[in-house]
Amino acid sequence: MDSPEPPPRPPLRTLLVRNRKRTVLGMDPQQVIKYFFGLNASTAVIVLVLIMLFLLREGIDFLPTYRNELVTYRRAGLEFCDIIDKPLKEHQSLSSSLRQSVSGSLDTLGKTARDRRDAAFLLKNQAEEKATQQRETLEQALEQAPPPAADKLDILRREQQKAAAVAAASLVYPDLFTAAEKQQLQTEFAALTPEVTDLPPFLQTLAADFTAKDHEARTKFEALVTAQEEFEEAPEGLQEVLDELKEHAQETKEKADEFHVLETNRQRLLEAAAKAKNADEKASLTEEAEASVAEPVNLDERTKELTARAGELREQLENYVKAAEKASASLPQEAGTSAATTMLADVRAKLPVHVQEMRDAALQLDQWRSDKPVSMISVIAAFFFGSQWITNSSWQDFFGFVPLLTGSLVIALIAILIATPISVIAAIYTNQFASEREKEIIKPIIEFIQAIPSVVLGFIGISLVGNLIKDFSEVSWLQWVPGFPIQERLNMFNAGCLLAFMAVPTMFSLSEDALNNVPRAYIDASDALGATKLQTVFRVIVPAGISGILSAILLGLGRVIGETMVVLLVAGNRIAIPDFSAGPGVIFQPAHTLTGIIAQELGEVSRGSSHWQALFMVGIVLFAISLLVNWCARAVARRFEPHKA
Amino acid sequence: MSADSTAKTTPPPVVQVRDMDFCYGTSPALFDINLKVKYHRVTALIGPSGCGKSTLLRCINRMNDRVPSARVTKGEVLVKGKNIHDADVDLTQLRKQVGMVFQKSNPFPKSIYENVAYGLRIHGEKNKSVLDEAVERSLRQSALWDELKDRLNANALALSGGQQQRLCIARAIATLPDVLLMDEPCSALDPISTLKIEELMHQLAQEYTIVIVTHNMQQAVRVSDYTAFLHLGKLVEFAPTEELFTNPREKLTESYLRGTFS
Repeated sequence: MDSPEPPPRPPLRTLLVRNRKRTVLGMDPQQVIKYFFGLNASTAVIVLVLIMLFLLREGIDFLPTYRNELVTYRRAGLEFCDIIDKPLKEHQSLSSSLRQSVSGSLDTLGKTARDRRDAAFLLKNQAEEKATQQRETLEQALEQAPPPAADKLDILRREQQKAAAVAAASLVYPDLFTAAEKQQLQTEFAALTPEVTDLPPFLQTLAADFTAKDHEARTKFEALVTAQEEFEEAPEGLQEVLDELKEHAQETKEKADEFHVLETNRQRLLEAAAKAKNADEKASLTEEAEASVAEPVNLDERTKELTARAGELREQLENYVKAAEKASASLPQEAGTSAATTMLADVRAKLPVHVQEMRDAALQLDQWRSDKPVSMISVIAAFFFGSQWITNSSWQDFFGFVPLLTGSLVIALIAILIATPISVIAAIYTNQFASEREKEIIKPIIEFIQAIPSVVLGFIGISLVGNLIKDFSEVSWLQWVPGFPIQERLNMFNAGCLLAFMAVPTMFSLSEDALNNVPRAYIDASDALGATKLQTVFRVIVPAGISGILSAILLGLGRVIGETMVVLLVAGNRIAIPDFSAGPGVIFQPAHTLTGIIAQELGEVSRGSSHWQALFMVGIVLFAISLLVNWCARAVARRFEPHKA
Repeated sequence: MSADSTAKTTPPPVVQVRDMDFCYGTSPALFDINLKVKYHRVTALIGPSGCGKSTLLRCINRMNDRVPSARVTKGEVLVKGKNIHDADVDLTQLRKQVGMVFQKSNPFPKSIYENVAYGLRIHGEKNKSVLDEAVERSLRQSALWDELKDRLNANALALSGGQQQRLCIARAIATLPDVLLMDEPCSALDPISTLKIEELMHQLAQEYTIVIVTHNMQQAVRVSDYTAFLHLGKLVEFAPTEELFTNPREKLTESYLRGTFS
């Protein structure tokens, strides 16, 4: 445009063009419009970057903070106590197995007697309850300071007798008792009055029966009972020493924490005093700072007191191990029932492992040093591979991420396993077999699922699906299903079912698109070779659309992993690694998830604390997982797309 | 051309179209077609765009069935003497008998081997050696064996356009059809690939009966023994190719061949 020599008299057209050329902020309007559009397009990118930065800013300090906490945990000697305390927990579970085994065995002899006794006492309570009113009136009358007239009392007594007789007659007597015994019981219940405190004779007989039977049983299984009691008592000495040490360590930790808080406070006040302009203010701040002096704790000195007792601890541990082994050796081979025998065998198999763990722990006591530095790598490992997520604990907080990750992954896996067949088959049907009318019905309905608020699904899960699963798990002909009957209504399977339902629309729509994108020419070729509709669908259309279907599944997975409300409400929120030894039945256990924990805990923690930062770390990992899944979906879509190449 | 295989006897026509009318819904597309496709000969269908030659071709293997409301309203189509619209005709068997090659090459996104074996597999052939044999025979007949025998497991979509089209021919003849329908098989190919396909058709004519739709009249002259000229849904003239091109009986044919209209 700018020629070096402008024509002397520009023609009209040139003049108009030149007039039209305005600038906005020194830029060509075309450019401005371009930048405006570009800016809008890049908003998403900018927001994404900001989110990442924010998450990192809040979360990145977690590692140093957690490291400090772990250093205190070590230096105050809490770790020292945990060396013994952790393996000792196994004792409880072994002990409880033994207890169950004992009670199972005792039941073989005493069960009928006990049931009869319990049933009779239950009936007695019921009989009394039904006649409560008359009974209480009579009692009150009897307790009155000047006792009421004898005839009045007689009336009350008669009424009470009548009520008791009616109550005794109205009871349902179980078939544990013979007809004569039922009659006997009824007579005795009818005769119950508050004035006689002794048990009726038949009830006494029943109680005595049970005691005799129980005694008999205890004699029969004497070896088992004694062994169980011995085992139960085995760790007492050890536990005593350990408790003392734990208390000591706890105290050290509290003092150290207090010192730390006061010291930080003092520093802050001194800084403020140095900055203060006004002399009075300065003086008062300095004074305050001096008041906030705490006694420094000599950690080394205090932990030495702990380690000094290592010998004692070891001795007690050896005692425990010996007692436990002795108890285990005196366990009989057979218990009263086959279940009890299995439990015994189980205990016998686990005990050597436990003993070995305890002995190893004793060896570790010597190697433990309170001043061993905590490396950053071990902190990272403690987060990413830690199997405990314990917060607000009076002992020590741990932020191990594995229980949450396992929960999220297992639930996502269940959801995907359920949703994939449903949505892919529905997509194949809709795309290939459905009439136009069916398509018009199916597609909007499936897409409508997306519009259901997840919190609504959550309470459907709590109120409906949970009960359904529970009821089904108690049906006798379904007992072959691993994990049945279930303990918890809110569990991973329940959450997985609902998440599957939520993932179906995404997976269905994308799979349907993928099938729709399969070139018509493939179908022509297959038809022309004489393939049936089914052959064409399964040998040509589905293989050709497989990349789209896979990517739909991955995007569904992304949706499922990020979903919060449903898992928070329905997954059961137990922060523990599910017990995979239960086999496939593991899916009926409750769990907590990455998303759920953030939603549940973030509102309650103080900003900037280690717990807060840990939650942000979880957020960062969640973000990374979502990014990875989405990236994989794109990569898959690109990888297997031959007809678009 | 295939002179040696025809001289002996005159077998009955492989495909016979008798007094056929064909409609798409209410609009008629073909009127009163009569056509006899001779055994082991190449028959070309020529005519201006929209004259119904592709429709006629697709009547022979009932590919038109997939268009809702499209149907034969009068007359019949016989393949090897059997009316293909009879109730007892199995469509998959019919299409096994009547192979088809499309305008645009459309190999499946599978390996070369799987492409050729597809037709046999869907008709239930599982024996590996039978499949191997059929794949080799088909690829040899379509002059691809020497080029591709070392990479049978390569993806068919990696082949060039001409190779893909020959692969489609191989796929169509793997089931040993009686008739091979070709719908403008060379229209998307370069001249050299076209030449190869045309040579191939000469060889294939020794073993198969071929019906080809073509826009290119030179091609019809080069490859076919008989030519049918269609115009506005009517079969104007059907004669041996040489006769039709050198000495057309109908005026319409003559003007079309001269290029007076297209």
